[in-house]
Amino acid sequence: MIEFDKFTLNNGLKVIVHKDTSTPLVAVNILYNIGAKDEDPEQTGFAHLFEHLMFGGSVNIPNYDEPLQKVGGDNNAWTNNDVTNYYLTVPKENLETGFWLESDRMLSLAFTEKSLEVQKAVVVEEFKQHYFNQPYGDVWLHLRPLAYKKHPYQWSTIGKCLEHIEDAQLQDVKNFFFHHYAPNNAVLVVSGNAETEEVKRLAEKWFGPIERREIPERKLPAEPKQTEFRSLHLERDVPYDAIYMAFHMGSRSDDDFYKVDLLSDILSNGQSSRIFQTLIKEKNLFSTIDAYLTGDFEPGLFVISGKLTEGISLENAEKAIWEVLDEVCASKADEYELQKVKNKIESSLVFSEISFLNKAMNIAQHEITGQAEDINLEVEKYNKVTTDDLQAMAQKILIKENCSTLYYHAKKQ
Amino acid sequence: MEKLNRSLPPQFKTIEHVDIPISKQDVLSNQIPVHIIEGGSQEVLKIEIIFNAGLWYQKSPLIAGTCNLMLNEGTEKYTAAELAEKFDFYGAYIAYNNSQHDASVSIYTLKKYLKETLDLLEEIIKRPTFPEKEFKTILSNKKQSFLVNREKTNALAKEKFNSLIYGDKHPYANVFDAKAFDEVQLNDIKNFYKDFYTSDNCHIIISGKMNDTVIQEVENRFGASSWKTKTPDVNPEHKLISSENKKIFVRKKDAVQSSIRIGRPLFNKTHEDFPGIMLFNLILGGYFGSRLMQNIREDKGYTYGINSLLLSHLESGHFAIVTEVGKDVCDDAISEIYKEVTRLREVLVPEEELNLVKNYFAGEMLRSFDSPFALSESLRGNLPFGFNNSYYEKFLQEIKAITSGKIMELANKYFKQENLYEIVVGENKD
Repeated sequence: MIEFDKFTLNNGLKVIVHKDTSTPLVAVNILYNIGAKDEDPEQTGFAHLFEHLMFGGSVNIPNYDEPLQKVGGDNNAWTNNDVTNYYLTVPKENLETGFWLESDRMLSLAFTEKSLEVQKAVVVEEFKQHYFNQPYGDVWLHLRPLAYKKHPYQWSTIGKCLEHIEDAQLQDVKNFFFHHYAPNNAVLVVSGNAETEEVKRLAEKWFGPIERREIPERKLPAEPKQTEFRSLHLERDVPYDAIYMAFHMGSRSDDDFYKVDLLSDILSNGQSSRIFQTLIKEKNLFSTIDAYLTGDFEPGLFVISGKLTEGISLENAEKAIWEVLDEVCASKADEYELQKVKNKIESSLVFSEISFLNKAMNIAQHEITGQAEDINLEVEKYNKVTTDDLQAMAQKILIKENCSTLYYHAKKQ
Repeated sequence: MEKLNRSLPPQFKTIEHVDIPISKQDVLSNQIPVHIIEGGSQEVLKIEIIFNAGLWYQKSPLIAGTCNLMLNEGTEKYTAAELAEKFDFYGAYIAYNNSQHDASVSIYTLKKYLKETLDLLEEIIKRPTFPEKEFKTILSNKKQSFLVNREKTNALAKEKFNSLIYGDKHPYANVFDAKAFDEVQLNDIKNFYKDFYTSDNCHIIISGKMNDTVIQEVENRFGASSWKTKTPDVNPEHKLISSENKKIFVRKKDAVQSSIRIGRPLFNKTHEDFPGIMLFNLILGGYFGSRLMQNIREDKGYTYGINSLLLSHLESGHFAIVTEVGKDVCDDAISEIYKEVTRLREVLVPEEELNLVKNYFAGEMLRSFDSPFALSESLRGNLPFGFNNSYYEKFLQEIKAITSGKIMELANKYFKQENLYEIVVGENKD
């Protein structure tokens, strides 16, 4: 059970405080309800590029990092297709520095040409480092547009291509900020060694004066139901063939999410899972293989990705995956197997609550997709899932006409 | 209400001390030392059993690591599949770790399943069977991931750097090629186990929510009698041979970025100059505000990231600057790196920057010791040097006493351009 206090400022900023005195530190986590899915299809990668610019100095504070490091703090941020999350940790005595810094960059940025030019170059290098300079690095640049034809999940957070990043203009940056960064479009979570009263005082003092902003209504095109199998073949200079299969499923906030999550656990969570035991250990068809959910806020993907053992054909490997999938469709898992994955979920939740920063991020995500209180219902929701549910989900999702498969061929030397 | 001055930073406090809970030491009846770290808010425990069974002791490549992993592949009572089934059912995690000097097996478990998971750990440690089929699968999969890794410029740069500074036969370099995977013999693995996974060659660290029964449960399984099978060999000798050739370019076809590694062999954290070198490293490339990050990323945009690091081995150590940059700006990036090193040799670090780095470092200490599991990691790293975690308080005070003059002196003592090795892996210039 994670306990917390919750209040909302007049400008719409939601604030949540979780007290954990086992740490001498405190985390300040701000989640903005803006992600790559909100981008113009001709200007992708912008939400993430923008995240970089948030460190380029704010309206009253020329440098974000320095004053934080000076008080023993550290920070980072991440962007995904749904949201952008900023977090810092400081010794508990220096909590106010965190409020000072975060509120100023919510108020307004410095918007300098220099910062934009440099961060464009940095993001281009990030793009190269993660997507082009790694074996199998470009998979998601191809798998997304294969699985999504209409919905903006068809592009990666980093963007569709380098040109979109290189073309970004300062005016676009300003527009983006004033349309999406606002107290009424964010959740602030403070977790760690802090008292609610003190957080209230600091929140009113630093965030209270920031005015509410007009946030355009989100109108995302829905992804039409997939009706036939899709495939794509790529050939790359990599040592082994690989296969990536993506199946459409519901969103993170659906009740079905818990059923599908446990279904993926039966297939691939831990060394006793079906895919690990059958495809790696018994048949030696794959050197690595995983099944997992993207866990997106809008309808997401159930993904299976594996690297083939040398000498195994993609055809045989794929056939073997389908045999495992057909089995979860054809027959019910036994109660013991379901209990096992439920135990594992429960335990992983307990372990995830060791870190105060982790808790801050989880609380913020729950608040933005529904309400923070839901965080304490997770175990119950998982526990309700039955073996019938697993089979029903498998029959609905793990079928050929719902599947997009990327065959990644190793170039013959 | 007073008008808010947003240009003015709030008052802050400097961290003068870090209160690190110190482990308690105990010993099982058969003399196995046990270190106990109590704490945390969750009902969880980590039990790690650590053997002097790292790469240092192997006679040919891959033996120590494969031996460690093979413990997971079946015991007298259970097959590998049955072991996995049981761990997963209890929601427990088992982790295998193999490093230069030691090798360990850890379990992370909910306290309520401590007995069950300890029973499994006992099986794994005392009665592994090393089945041939699992052995082949493990080696084949390891070989594949080795070859995938070989496609990465940063992995190649690291390997080349380590072999130049330590010598390619030295365990700290741990260099081998793909055919080593075909040469490992199962019998060598079994013998390595017999020699090194013994009760007089290990210690245990317990961390998490403790009570009296925890230590008793560990005693029952690992302490009651000696399960030694053979006395380990004496400490083998490995000669450090640093290459005369300090500059190497390795071509990686079609790489869009080049990996750079610049550094030198050094000493470990027991050396008197270590605290000063630690600050030198932080200022140069050890945190986001570092000079390299500010210059090469935040000013020039040549890279997504650039860092420098210090690594302490039991019998040596090294310093390295690590980055991946666009291939067209590689030469410029290298010259900027040297400029920053030169500046530390020639110009005193301003007081303000020095104080900032000291404060940041104290905050980092708080962050690194924030859970009993994190403390157990640190303790594991410190014990071979003969310290427990009280080392850090002393270290923090030493760091606080370092002056700019001292940093400049050390920069000149250890980081002249001719001291530095330079490895670049990437595509040729157009």
